[in-house]
Amino acid sequence: MTISDQTLERMRELASRYPQPRSALLPMLHLVQSVDGEVTTDGINACAEVLGISPAEVTGVSTFYTMYKRKPVGEHHIGVCVNTLCGLLGGDAVYDALSERLGVGHNEPTADGKFSLERIECQAACTHAPVMTVDWEFIDDVTPAAAVDVVDRLERGEQVLSTRGPAIRTFQATEHTLAFPDDGLAGEGTSVDDKMLAGLRYAKEHNMSAPAHGQEA
Amino acid sequence: MTENTTTEIVPTVSVTIDGVALQVPKGTLAIRAAEMIGVEIPRFCDHPLLEPVAACRACLIEVEGMPKPQPACAQVVGEGMTIRTQQSSEVAKDAQEGVMEFLLINHPLDCPVCDKGGECPLQNQAMSAGRGESRFEGEKRTFDKPINVSAQILLDRERCVSCARCTRFADQIAGDPMIELLERGAQQQVGTASDEPFDSYFSGNTVQICPVGALTSAAYRFRSRPFDLVSVPTTCEHCASGCSLRTDYRRGVVTRRLAWDSPEVNEEWNCDKGRFAFAYLAEGRITTPLVREDGELRPASWPEAIDVAARGLAAAGSRTGVLTGGRLTQEDAYGYAKFARAVLGTDSIDFRARATSPEETQFLRAAVAGAPIGVTYTALEQAPFVLLVGFEPEDESPIVFLRLRKARTRVVSVGAVATRGLDKMGGELLAALPGQEAAALRDLPADIRAALEQPGAVILAGERIAASAGAPSAVSTLAASTGAALAWVPRRAGERGALDAGALAGLLPGGRPLIDAQARAQVAAIWGIDTAALPGLPGLSGDDLLTSASRVGLSALLVAGVDPVDLPDPALALRAVDTAAFVVALDHHHSAVTERADVVLPVALVTEKSGTFLDWEGRPRPFGQVFKDALTMSDATVLGMIASAIGTSAGAWDVNGIRRELTALGPWQGARAVVPGVQPQAAAGAGFRLASWRELLDAGVLQEGEPFLAATARPSAAIVSAAAAARLGSPATVTVTGPAGSVTLPLEVGAVLDDVVFVPMHSSECSIYRDLGARIGTAVDVTAGGAA
Ligand code: SF4
Ligand code: SF4
Ligand code: FES
Ligand code: FES
Repeated sequence: MTISDQTLERMRELASRYPQPRSALLPMLHLVQSVDGEVTTDGINACAEVLGISPAEVTGVSTFYTMYKRKPVGEHHIGVCVNTLCGLLGGDAVYDALSERLGVGHNEPTADGKFSLERIECQAACTHAPVMTVDWEFIDDVTPAAAVDVVDRLERGEQVLSTRGPAIRTFQATEHTLAFPDDGLAGEGTSVDDKMLAGLRYAKEHNMSAPAHGQEA
Repeated sequence: MTENTTTEIVPTVSVTIDGVALQVPKGTLAIRAAEMIGVEIPRFCDHPLLEPVAACRACLIEVEGMPKPQPACAQVVGEGMTIRTQQSSEVAKDAQEGVMEFLLINHPLDCPVCDKGGECPLQNQAMSAGRGESRFEGEKRTFDKPINVSAQILLDRERCVSCARCTRFADQIAGDPMIELLERGAQQQVGTASDEPFDSYFSGNTVQICPVGALTSAAYRFRSRPFDLVSVPTTCEHCASGCSLRTDYRRGVVTRRLAWDSPEVNEEWNCDKGRFAFAYLAEGRITTPLVREDGELRPASWPEAIDVAARGLAAAGSRTGVLTGGRLTQEDAYGYAKFARAVLGTDSIDFRARATSPEETQFLRAAVAGAPIGVTYTALEQAPFVLLVGFEPEDESPIVFLRLRKARTRVVSVGAVATRGLDKMGGELLAALPGQEAAALRDLPADIRAALEQPGAVILAGERIAASAGAPSAVSTLAASTGAALAWVPRRAGERGALDAGALAGLLPGGRPLIDAQARAQVAAIWGIDTAALPGLPGLSGDDLLTSASRVGLSALLVAGVDPVDLPDPALALRAVDTAAFVVALDHHHSAVTERADVVLPVALVTEKSGTFLDWEGRPRPFGQVFKDALTMSDATVLGMIASAIGTSAGAWDVNGIRRELTALGPWQGARAVVPGVQPQAAAGAGFRLASWRELLDAGVLQEGEPFLAATARPSAAIVSAAAAARLGSPATVTVTGPAGSVTLPLEVGAVLDDVVFVPMHSSECSIYRDLGARIGTAVDVTAGGAA
């Protein structure tokens, strides 16, 4: 898809937010995903053009970070954390259940383009392990059955809420928020709950602290 | 420019490396400091001409007081630092061996089928700094192999050690960051954007600095093993940048050419033309002398051909014109200069196979011929300001381009196109219509004039000032009035040497005026002839020479390697050759001239003789003979044979003898011709003005036979401004029509002045002189779409 003049304008706006325009590349790539559903070649060329860098340099960045997709993703992008904590607490089973339900594997979209699935790395949400994300919104303490239910409801067009509050929109809608975190939606929902703070509370109650630099733990 | 003689005091620091105390300049990297005491730390990503990146970790050393081993290639030596390398530290040795083991985990170890095998830093350092045995039993990472990062450059990704030398070269040196490290982790790989290949003029350097066999050239891949090659240091024959090259050959055939180290000139780089354009050496040679009989050329023996040539030329004598082209060595050009004056008694000689003007002739006589080295590459690097006139460095002298880029000198180009090359030098355009540079120089903005008045400022005039009335005069006046140094940068490798050898009407060797009695006496004495035997008045040159020959004003032509298509009026040149009663051609390949000649004498290629090119600085770049047992003779040797058949010997004709004569003569110290004083001329005619120059990679005959190189050339296009394109209705193609014809080319929008169209001078798609009959600055028609 070619990048519209309006998108180019928004890219320039992002570039103007930084002392070094090049720093805007990460949000700009999210913007490309919000309009094209993936990082397209046109999107890469547009970023290069706006920032005055080469398409190869943009390609380098867009292939380094896994959140940038060089292949089409589904309308809803589903991630399942399979790192140590989530994996042990059921993440692997969640992934398998979803893979079977959707008929796709890692980084593959379904034939109807509705969903795509990805094994993701630790989301720093281990408190609520195992976690799954839908369009990067959290579904905490998920089970295989709950995960499949989320998919079923999305497929039926029902509204699904993240365990932390915000309504699930679409991959492209979330990408737009990632490009413009000041769109008023980024802060929706809870980011910290009681369970997440339990460890900190315990440490404080027991006067625990990190060892000083250079000292053995 | 005189060398900077003030000694700068460089602060030093004391460091101890492996127990050896030494002082090094402040800012020295540990890896360089270790080299000073003869310790070689293993390295892959380190390259003295690239910014440190510490990407490969092969160079780990122990630095006292630091918790972990440090990369020596990025560690600046500090005062009082104690460093231990693998020579004295188990920690460093262990770290280096560990990194080497990691690097080899995913390395295919396919040395027996790898081009780098035998000259591979990984192979060598795995032996010197690695463990003999691998403990890795897993499956190695593999990739489809190879991928084309360009038509010429191939990449075998599994061999890559991610050192980022190639990507840093492309970005930092060439200014062409079209290759990058893509992906991450074990998948990290060099690659391009999906729709933009690595078509850089300097791409071949990445193959040379890749420390493994990951990057190869299509031209050399799988051709030979390095230990089967014989290497000879040579000088590039393709342009006046003067690169030192290394020519590698096997069984009488050149297999590859590399950039060779020459810190004052090309540093360690060269361009892809110099590196890859050598297939012509092996193809389509003229193998025997040819003599015309009953209208047909037939093979002849050397004695017969020399005899026929001698009789024909002797009969024409002073009514002979001599065209030497711009590619000869200085010694061969000197041979023609001497042969014309001492043997034939003619002064009608010209080395310029390109657009010329009488004004340029006078400029060269007055300001360039025989002048000592003035502006150097180093001077460019130190200059506060450089003004370019009629000169596009990236296309016309690539090492000048690299040097100006490196120096980040302020550059202003007087011209009609703000090229990507100019952009890569951080340069600005001072608008001048093609052919109208003189007017722009006359009305120079005050800030540019002030910039030129700074000590060390330089004006670089390209060969295209000859195609711009008043420009040679204007650059001379400007240099005189601002105190800026002026250098002339010709395009072809042999032009400066030929000029200094006297291969231009009115000039004897060393810049001596033909009409100066003392100069004549000096030259006559060296040549062992009577001063009176030298022609008395300057002969014909440039267009006049050809016009005269085409009108039976001259009765013979002696031509060396001139392709009429390079001349602004190819038809006139062919008419001249057809009209001349007698034509002798010395060449190694057939051309439109040899086809029409009465006698064709085959001569040696650059690989078959020794000689000297003078680069644009005027610096001699001598080179030795690659193929020592070649039976071919240089132009000068053949001319010497004709001379003795005519009965005049006139001194030496062999390369050493000629060098002795040139040294004995030395440069002219007496009065010189005055610089020309031609006024700018207003443009004639209406329509688009034609801007054009020779792109580095084009349809030049010396690039023949190398399709991979040709595929990386810039696609031919007619380039106009956005406004002009809109006026034309932004068609995909346009037809450019000149006095003699039209060409249809893709339309491209660029930073070109309005009412100017850029068309490459001599690409595979179009040649402006031949196809359009137009010269630089000619008014041409540009219409949308194909020819009617
Ligand atoms: S291709 Fe060669 S030069 Fe480039 S990063 Fe890999 S090993 Fe280094
Ligand atoms: S820059 Fe000129 S001299 Fe150097 S390699 Fe290229 S063509 Fe040859
Ligand atoms: S391991 Fe899954 S969120 Fe940390
Ligand atoms: S040579 Fe030092 S890290 Fe590569």
